[in-house]
Amino acid sequence: MSVARAARLTPYMFLAPAALVLAVALFYPICYMIYASFLDWNPSQRIGEAEFVGLRNYIKLFGDPNFRESLWVTLKFAGIVVTLEMFIGVGLALLLDRNIRGMSVLRTLFILPMMIAPIVVGLMWRYMYHPTVGIFNKTLTNLGFDTIPWLSDGNWAFASVIIADVWQWTPFIFILSLAALQSLPSSAIEASKIDGATGWQQIIYIKLPLMLPVLIVTLLLRLIDSFKVLEVILVMTNGGPGLSTEILSLRINRTASEFRELGEAAAMSNLLLIVLLILTFAMFIYNKAQDARAARLRAVEEEA
Amino acid sequence: MTSHTTKVWSAAAAVALTFTAGAALANPYAEYEGTTLVVNFPAHPHYNAAIEVLDQFTEQTGIEVEVDQLQYLKMRERQTLELTKDEGDYDLIAYVVFSKADYVYADQLENLAKYFMNPKLADPNYDQADLIDGYVQNIGVAGGQKGYLPGQLGSAFGIPFGSETSVLAYRKDIFEKHGIDVPMNYDQLLDAACKIPEVEPGMGGMASRAASGHQASHAFLLHLAPLGGRVFDDNWEPIINNEAGVAAAEALKTIVDCGPEGSTTFGPAEAAAAFKQGQAAMFMDSIAFAAGFEDPSQSTVAGKVGYALHPEGVRRGSQTGGFGIAIPKNAQNKEAAFLLMQWLTSKEGDLAVAMAGGNPSRFSTYENAELNAKYPYSATFGEALKYADPDWRPIIPTWGKINADIGTTLSQVLTEGLDIQEALDGVAERARATMDEAGYYTWQ
Repeated sequence: MSVARAARLTPYMFLAPAALVLAVALFYPICYMIYASFLDWNPSQRIGEAEFVGLRNYIKLFGDPNFRESLWVTLKFAGIVVTLEMFIGVGLALLLDRNIRGMSVLRTLFILPMMIAPIVVGLMWRYMYHPTVGIFNKTLTNLGFDTIPWLSDGNWAFASVIIADVWQWTPFIFILSLAALQSLPSSAIEASKIDGATGWQQIIYIKLPLMLPVLIVTLLLRLIDSFKVLEVILVMTNGGPGLSTEILSLRINRTASEFRELGEAAAMSNLLLIVLLILTFAMFIYNKAQDARAARLRAVEEEA
Repeated sequence: MTSHTTKVWSAAAAVALTFTAGAALANPYAEYEGTTLVVNFPAHPHYNAAIEVLDQFTEQTGIEVEVDQLQYLKMRERQTLELTKDEGDYDLIAYVVFSKADYVYADQLENLAKYFMNPKLADPNYDQADLIDGYVQNIGVAGGQKGYLPGQLGSAFGIPFGSETSVLAYRKDIFEKHGIDVPMNYDQLLDAACKIPEVEPGMGGMASRAASGHQASHAFLLHLAPLGGRVFDDNWEPIINNEAGVAAAEALKTIVDCGPEGSTTFGPAEAAAAFKQGQAAMFMDSIAFAAGFEDPSQSTVAGKVGYALHPEGVRRGSQTGGFGIAIPKNAQNKEAAFLLMQWLTSKEGDLAVAMAGGNPSRFSTYENAELNAKYPYSATFGEALKYADPDWRPIIPTWGKINADIGTTLSQVLTEGLDIQEALDGVAERARATMDEAGYYTWQ
């Protein structure tokens, strides 16, 4: 082998171990799942014993009103949750972006909910929502109001899981927005002050536009995450009452363990994966566009 | 040095004794002494009691037992994976009754015939006739009528251990205070359920499970059998939406509407807790909860609870459920596992477990005076078993899916006011499609 050729191969040799790990740890399971989605596979069978049924699982899914309902619940949940979290998280960041004494302690307190294990969050909220001994209904009764069927009425249950999720994940948006705010160029803000911008004007015309790249990435990350939420809802309502809180990941879980249809569960997971891939792709394209725009601006500056 | 000599001497004495005894009575366990069995049990009061008596087994036989205990639905998931391996880790498993269909159909459990035919293993004093027949048919036998019911060609794959039926628990003090009779039939039951919140403000009539999914389905089926209904007819056609089905769903809705606050999210543990905390005057579910009601450390109603038979609809039909024990096909110590299984369900083992708080699997245990003195309700439970209905729910591989559909649809009836007839028609239609796909109509 010539020296030149060896030199050309060197980088690939260094890359090989990583590629191997990637293939084993990432592509193998995904291919396995894609293959499984074409099978009529019961958990008591080995994968080799399962019958190949082609696209039947997918066709069945689209004809299944429960699956469509669950997809709709997921979209609704993700949409509402992420919107609320963005507004509250960014709002809090704007409020707390200043020098207050004990700020670091406050910040740590704010991100506590995010650090609690999801199962624990679910249990905590479930007990707080308890119809008779839960803190919410107890307080309402003590104040002389009617109690609220937090988890036992479809609409309230949906609202209840949203409240819990907002409580847990707003800090994530808060902490990222705060970091973005604090890294904004002070020159732009000072310039706007000199031009006489009010606080609101500063936020709307200077801070938010400058934060936008970070906010969009945060939004997409949260959106992807909210499509996969499982434990909190599993513990709080297990999808009920009816199908009112049965998000897709919960349905996948039930299809695999309760209905014992691994093929169908794999097909659902693949559909969820496709939705998430589209979102991730959107994020990727956005980043690319941003980079291109920055490069263009730089080029214009240099020319000038 | 002295202690060493003593040990040697006592060992020699033990050996001598074993041989002398051997002449009169051979030790059937000798061959398996020192074996360690791995068993998989659910976290359940009955199995907690069983674990307490395992030491006695080890002492008698020299067979060690290692227990892997899991929540019962998790246990089922673990077993599903475990049983497909070439060499399994479990020598003996406890299984939920509806797993019988899956495991036997996938040929993963040992047929028990060859063990009971082996004179070296089978204890001649075992007395099979004393085992509660409803439980044996429901939990242990497969291959009879419809594949899961009693029938001439069925045979046993497991033995009931930790089996349950349903009884009505009621507050004696409340019933007496308002002059309400203990319900004997469904009309009286539903009347009482809705009268109690009127006369005893803040208290619900009956605490029932009703949470979306398996729980709501279970609660519905509990009323379906006594009211004369079935999920399928003899040709596997769904008849869940006939008059009896509608009556059962109406009964469930009445009970939940007149029940304690938040009933629609209750699982069995929450319903039992509501009864224990005095939030409901009745509780109709598995006998396994009774021990908890009578324990003053966790119940405010201990001593105030009466027990009656599951009320009669057009017939008597209390539930059959709970667990059985079986030997996996891929177990590594099958014979020793059989010895443990036989010991646990023998008259001696069954009584020991029952005295520690478990649920008996034998008629003789229910009649035992010592047990009745310790747990006064045992006699009522023994009586209830005579009416236990092995066909109150079908145990077939497609059941998981149909069960979940019944449960979510009924939850919509209970919380969203979905029309009962419409709901059950939908269930029947979807159930038929599931059954069709699984090949149940091949012969029609």
